[in-house]
Amino acid sequence: MTDIQYVAPSTLDEAVGAYAAAKGAARILAGGTDLLVQMRAGMVKPGLIVDIKKVAELSAIEKTPEGGFRIGAAVSGAVLEEHPTFGKVWPGVLEGLNLIGSTQVQGRASAGGNLCNGSPAADSIPGLVAAGAIATVQGPNGRRNIPVEQVPTGPGKTSLAPGEILVSFTLPPRPAHSSDAYLRMIPRTEMDIAVVGCAVSLTMDGDTCTAARVSLGAVAPTVLLVEDAAKALVLTKLDDASLDKAAAACSAACNPIDDKRGTIAYRTKVAGVLLKRTTAIAAERAKGG
Amino acid sequence: MPDGTTGTGIGAAVKRVEDFRFLTGKGNYTDDINRPGQSYAYILRSPHAHAKITSIDSSAAKAAAGVLAVFTGEDMQVGSLPCGWQIHSKDGSPMLEPEHPPLAKGKVRYVGDQVAVVIADTYSQAKDAAESIVVNYEVLPAAVSMSDALTDKSLVHDDIGSNLCFDWEIGDEAAVDEAMSKAAHITKIDLVNNRLVPNAMEPRAAVGEFDAATGEYTLYTTSQNPHVIRLLMGAFVLSIPEHKLRVVAPDVGGGFGSKIYHYAEEAIVTWAAPKIGRPIKWVADRSEAFISDAHGRDQINHAELALDANGKFLALKVQTQANMGAYLSTFAPCVPTYLSATLLAGTYTTPAIHANVKAIFTNTVPVDAYRGAGRPESTYLIERIVDQAARETGIDKVEIRRRNFIPADAFPYQTPVALQYDSGDYEATLSSATKIADVAGFAARKAEAASRGKLRGMGYSTYLEACGIAPSAVVGSLGARAGLYESAEVRVHPTGSVTVFTGTHSHGQGHETTFAQLVSDRLGLPMENIEISHGDTNKVQFGMGTYGSRSLAVGGEALIRAVDKIIDKAKKIAAHVLEASADDIEFKDGNFTVAGTDRSMAFGEVALTAYVPHNFPHDELEPGLDEKAFYDPANFTYPGGCHICEVEIDPETGVTEVIKFTAVDDVGRVINPMIVEGQVHGGVAQGIGQALLEYAAYDDSGQLVTGSFMDYTMPRADNFPKFDVTTEGTLCTHNTLGVKGVGEVGAIGSPPAVINAVIDALWDRGVRDMSMPATPEKVWSALQAAE
Ligand SMILES: Cc1cc2nc3c(=O)[nH]c(=O)nc-3n(C[C@H](O)[C@H](O)[C@H](O)COP(=O)(O)OP(=O)(O)OC[C@H]3O[C@@H](n4cnc5c(N)ncnc54)[C@H](O)[C@@H]3O)c2cc1C
Repeated sequence: MTDIQYVAPSTLDEAVGAYAAAKGAARILAGGTDLLVQMRAGMVKPGLIVDIKKVAELSAIEKTPEGGFRIGAAVSGAVLEEHPTFGKVWPGVLEGLNLIGSTQVQGRASAGGNLCNGSPAADSIPGLVAAGAIATVQGPNGRRNIPVEQVPTGPGKTSLAPGEILVSFTLPPRPAHSSDAYLRMIPRTEMDIAVVGCAVSLTMDGDTCTAARVSLGAVAPTVLLVEDAAKALVLTKLDDASLDKAAAACSAACNPIDDKRGTIAYRTKVAGVLLKRTTAIAAERAKGG
Repeated sequence: MPDGTTGTGIGAAVKRVEDFRFLTGKGNYTDDINRPGQSYAYILRSPHAHAKITSIDSSAAKAAAGVLAVFTGEDMQVGSLPCGWQIHSKDGSPMLEPEHPPLAKGKVRYVGDQVAVVIADTYSQAKDAAESIVVNYEVLPAAVSMSDALTDKSLVHDDIGSNLCFDWEIGDEAAVDEAMSKAAHITKIDLVNNRLVPNAMEPRAAVGEFDAATGEYTLYTTSQNPHVIRLLMGAFVLSIPEHKLRVVAPDVGGGFGSKIYHYAEEAIVTWAAPKIGRPIKWVADRSEAFISDAHGRDQINHAELALDANGKFLALKVQTQANMGAYLSTFAPCVPTYLSATLLAGTYTTPAIHANVKAIFTNTVPVDAYRGAGRPESTYLIERIVDQAARETGIDKVEIRRRNFIPADAFPYQTPVALQYDSGDYEATLSSATKIADVAGFAARKAEAASRGKLRGMGYSTYLEACGIAPSAVVGSLGARAGLYESAEVRVHPTGSVTVFTGTHSHGQGHETTFAQLVSDRLGLPMENIEISHGDTNKVQFGMGTYGSRSLAVGGEALIRAVDKIIDKAKKIAAHVLEASADDIEFKDGNFTVAGTDRSMAFGEVALTAYVPHNFPHDELEPGLDEKAFYDPANFTYPGGCHICEVEIDPETGVTEVIKFTAVDDVGRVINPMIVEGQVHGGVAQGIGQALLEYAAYDDSGQLVTGSFMDYTMPRADNFPKFDVTTEGTLCTHNTLGVKGVGEVGAIGSPPAVINAVIDALWDRGVRDMSMPATPEKVWSALQAAE
């Protein structure tokens, strides 16, 4: 085995500096539930590991001045679960993150790692995309903000430039009677990669849906924002015809890789089915909230 | 037999005494064994399904840090890994038996085949060095599927000239054809019994050691049968005489059949230990286990069942293709033949049966017995075709079974396929299961599910199996190259405690509890005075190990016989001390008493006297209290019963949920009901796993595409409801304990119950067939196709 250097800086600048200086030979370590598995399997052989968990901003959960949430990229699902209000406002985001792995894995796994690992089936990402979350990224050339759906560019690939570190996710403030939900099609449960994942975020005015965002995972090379599905829901009473239309939009958006976990036809159909079921849960929650 | 007087006897739900050490991490598994000066082996495996090895250059690996040696097939000139069962084809010719070198010679035949071994100071050094071995392969077309292999276009073994290992038959074909010609109806079915990866919790491991001072070899290994390994490896592969070879199978974390066989790695570490002058440890990682542990099942069947106008079965005809994989694993040939085709009568009176089995070599991992071994295959076939026949003839699926059951008063019952069942009452287990499963309320539950858009189905399996393996004379006449008796030694120590040496091996079954209960029951001793010892050829006299649900029915019976010899001897000692005739001594509640008197001796006193024989008449009475027995059963045992599965299917996603699973099993006398229940639970879990989740899939080039837990869907607790498990029924008539065996019934009975339930749920929507595993995608696609 080759020697591996390990640093755990306490400031973001140090982290970015060490990461950028290693020029591609370094890897960021958040929870390590992807990275360590990949290292043990010999898939990646970093010369330097930059552990970001000691950087306060990356491990913080804060309210924004606008009334939204900012979540550090390295916050684990278990920590987010314990936050007193986050799960009440964003139950769908939280349930996506805490579908990952098992209790042990959730104690480590972060949404930032889930995003930067670049899996099209990443469970926490559709929820963040549906939420309209913004990713803050910092690199040698400073800070920038991009919508979460623009981070992944393909399986295992992201739009992060060399030396850039994902810092946090910012979720917008929530109007009354808003909620969200995430469902994945589970041929089995938590230890598996979703065949299809669907997140829906809604704002309701009585029985009428006034705003919606829909995101699908595992049906294309990246997590998708499905605007046509959202359009089909907005300003409707989420009646069967609108749901059918939204489901059809989800099916149409699918561009899955045919693999042994599910054929194209199946994923495509199930994407529509999940849209309907997720919407029903989100609407129920929104009316209650 | 009454319940144990001590509360730990036969029938008592004694907590497993071994569990404390397992649950507190104090078990002693092969990987826990570290010998002084130990080195580590890494096996370089073939990345190709079929290739010629044109050259191997290991010079860089030999020079790498920490490396002690690198060996290839050219270096390791030893015997072939032997096959323990010979089948003859229907034309009388013996099966084709290819050479199976522990390290490949000239050719690799499956992804995972052993190419070289690197031995180093640490495992990482060995693994890193292996990367620098340059192997030049000339990749050959692979025979992956059985149909491809049968064309012989690409030969797995050039020297034997064919991929057809044997073409075997059983039964009276003429009688079957005659019955078919007169049938009112013939039901036909085509089935695939999916390939499975056993996946015991503990991966295989082996430590080889050589003592230069004594010339003695020791192999620590994850085996279900250390004496069998000593015999096979010592006599056939490495030519080490048995008195110089010790094989120890310490705590073993599950086997399910996959740890019966003699594997290459055992021979490699034992052979190499004296070469490098240090002990060598090899431990498989999980990915390696997927491509090097023998796989299970993998059959294709075509079956035809002839019925008369009343739905009585007239004849059954079966054609089977059985995948052997690339080499013959230790017991592979008997699985589709004598452990499967001989069971084709099932619980029914079908008078004429014929089966033809073609065993085929392919470029895949060798296939051998896996929990149930052959019996799940025949059970799946019978219970699927019976359900199919019921639907085609319009006879209720329970009624058709009742009409054809072997009646409870017809035992012993001779089937047309060799076996003679000794006891059973299939009607009884069926009616109990029907009540427990609340069959009467099913229609209402189905309607309620339909109101939620869900499809409910109920499936039956009224199965039978043959275990308690096995009468030596019978298996010998059928091709076994071994006897399948068992042995036990009962050593009473001077202070009255007892060590039992059994030739069976416990790798999760709880023998340390059950066998101690037998002794406790018979000798009236508390459990803590009884130790069960197994798994070490230097301690245990001999034994054939544990598989085929044989431990209690064969090993337990041997133990009881040895205990009875102890009682006989103890009576003689008591008679001597009490100055009576041995015939007048009664043994009860741990005391030896002269009948009709109050003169008595406790068991402990007799034991002490045996070892302090100050006034023994030495020509009549030997000192000591230590007896052994070898027991060869007169027949197989025949557990059977009824499994009923209720499923609910979500037609929009194809997800099948098992709502209720009822098992009523006749396993003969129950020694420990808690352990029996646990065995059935585990078996049913594996059976549902086969039916709904598990599948070892190969791609066209012979790569195992489900080679990790990411792709190979092991069942987990949340895939199951709480099972309703009960036992009832009849006693085995040919062993004194009346026990039949419970290790495999769950895995044997359950798969057809699940699939029959799935088909039942989908029937109204036009689906007529479903193969295992019934994955959501498959169920969904079947629904789409039927629309
Ligand atoms: C048993 C098990 C089950 C799992 N089940 C699931 C599941 O059901 N669903 C699912 O989606 N995933 C699953 N995973 C995968 C994994 O747990 C998730 O992807 C998790 O969210 C990764 O987070 P992490 O903090 O552990 O990331 P890490 O492993 O620390 O990092 C992942 C990758 O992202 C990079 N990275 C991490 N943080 C940053 C950052 N801030 N900036 C730049 N790059 C960064 C790392 O260098 C690495 O390449 C499972 C993993 C295991 C071991």
